[in-house]
Amino acid sequence: MNNKPQSINQEAVMIRHQEVIQIFQHKSDAEVWAAFNLGDERAFNYLYRLYTPILYRYGLGFCGDDNLVKDGIQNLFIYLRAKRGNLSEIRSIKAYLFRSLQNEIFRGLKGQNSSVHFDSLEHCFQIEYSPETRYIAREDEEIEQSKFNQLLSNLTRRQRQAILLLYEENLTYKEIAEVLELNDTKSARKLVYRALAALKDILIFRIKK
Amino acid sequence: MKPEKKLIRYTDYELEDFLGDEFFIDWVKNPNVDNSHFWDIWLQKNPEKRTLILSAANIIRSITYAPLPQLSEHEYLDIFEKIIKEPARSSKAKMGSWFYKFFELIPPTKIAACFLICFVAWVTIEVYWIGVPEEETPVLAEEWIEKSTPIGVKSTFFLSDGSTITLNSESKIRFPKNFDQVKRTVEIEGEAFFEVKKENRPFIVQSGNTKIQVLGTSFNVNKKTNEPLYVALVTGKVSVDTHNGSRMTLEPNEMLVLEDSGSFRKTGFDSKDVIGWKDKFLVFKSSKLPEIKERLEQWYGVQIELKGKFDENWTYSGVYKDEILENVLRGICMTSGMNYKINDKKITLTNPKKHENS
Repeated sequence: MNNKPQSINQEAVMIRHQEVIQIFQHKSDAEVWAAFNLGDERAFNYLYRLYTPILYRYGLGFCGDDNLVKDGIQNLFIYLRAKRGNLSEIRSIKAYLFRSLQNEIFRGLKGQNSSVHFDSLEHCFQIEYSPETRYIAREDEEIEQSKFNQLLSNLTRRQRQAILLLYEENLTYKEIAEVLELNDTKSARKLVYRALAALKDILIFRIKK
Repeated sequence: MKPEKKLIRYTDYELEDFLGDEFFIDWVKNPNVDNSHFWDIWLQKNPEKRTLILSAANIIRSITYAPLPQLSEHEYLDIFEKIIKEPARSSKAKMGSWFYKFFELIPPTKIAACFLICFVAWVTIEVYWIGVPEEETPVLAEEWIEKSTPIGVKSTFFLSDGSTITLNSESKIRFPKNFDQVKRTVEIEGEAFFEVKKENRPFIVQSGNTKIQVLGTSFNVNKKTNEPLYVALVTGKVSVDTHNGSRMTLEPNEMLVLEDSGSFRKTGFDSKDVIGWKDKFLVFKSSKLPEIKERLEQWYGVQIELKGKFDENWTYSGVYKDEILENVLRGICMTSGMNYKINDKKITLTNPKKHENS
């Protein structure tokens, strides 16, 4: 799946960053990463411009503390730049950065409070169902929407996370498995299918109308 | 649901199978030549699946992160600066060459003073010896072009980047003769239809305090005094940044209605109604008399006078393509029982019926 962020964000201030988009936008992840590893500053600018806004969003999904997320992004890039020349090859930049940022955030959370557990993050990655094409605000549609949102919030954090990675971040099951540190693609698929099964009733209701 | 069985055909797919299918999701989220080709043909072959497909696509598009704040420009730059300055700090210590050691022996203030003296000396030489160069960088003196249309006239303009702007009557645009290297900016008052040539520089339409940003698409912008801003997207993708910091993105066939107060909503739109004007379609859709009067005055550059009493609940619908005013008036009057009189640029509409609540 094409999961390159479509960056048209922000403006004049990113003058320098705008040019690098031209150079790298048609290159594969592996090529961009190789250029970055060789010390090409334009490749770094490109990565920063494309991935910072979505890393920020993803990080905030994880924990509400935006300072922690910003520090995490900063430390991640500092680390990657310091390791240039010795970086290993990667297939998906997005999946790699997501996983790395996750680790940075965990490290930050642990720094604040040593008893942080994965369990305490259960409320993270809130999902919202907000249909874009609502031409008329019909009452039953609103009721249905709130029901659907209720069901979504009943999913486990990892189910919600997997769905967001699939729909919003356009990652493949393989990449989702990488981000969620699952053993294989099959487990990622299962995670998503279980979540969809939980939503099934209300989905069927939608179709019948 | 059997996720493991690879052999299920798309024709046997249930809703949840589509919802979990990578190839399908990719088409919904990033339609391109390759995946559209497959799904377009598949839909033609399986028309009975259309509702199912559309529902699945709608669900996929509707599930998003719960609202989160966006990274501000300031924070974006701040993090970037901290990142690029970091290696300079750490590598200095690591290198430990004679060069750095030499500088470490001298207090920083002295180094700064040294630089200052050098700078002042350079400026002095530059100004008094060589003299100030007469013409500074011409890049700053950007030449802007302003175009406006009087009442009753529409015009099309071609920009230096290959984009075209069709300007409705009583509207105004401003744009630089040559766009700069990073962005293409156009300012607008009134209504215009944009067909933006796709390239890497973002195309920014500024309407009041609102910025509409695109890469390559076609869309309509309409902002009249005391009325909301309407942005209707035909193809591509646009994002709209309001003065109070919210950002909305539009998909094709969506229209954003942004009130001056800052509140907004998205709706669908009838393309003939909203953008028909650029193809010379004059469209009335359950229009009331004051609206019809205003449209005709703007369209033909005439003045219309209403004489007599008119039913407030009366509405008129009709479509005219590139039609002369007299034919339009004839059409309207035929269904309403009104009479019209044309006297050069002055039109008089009269209602002979006495009973106003018919």
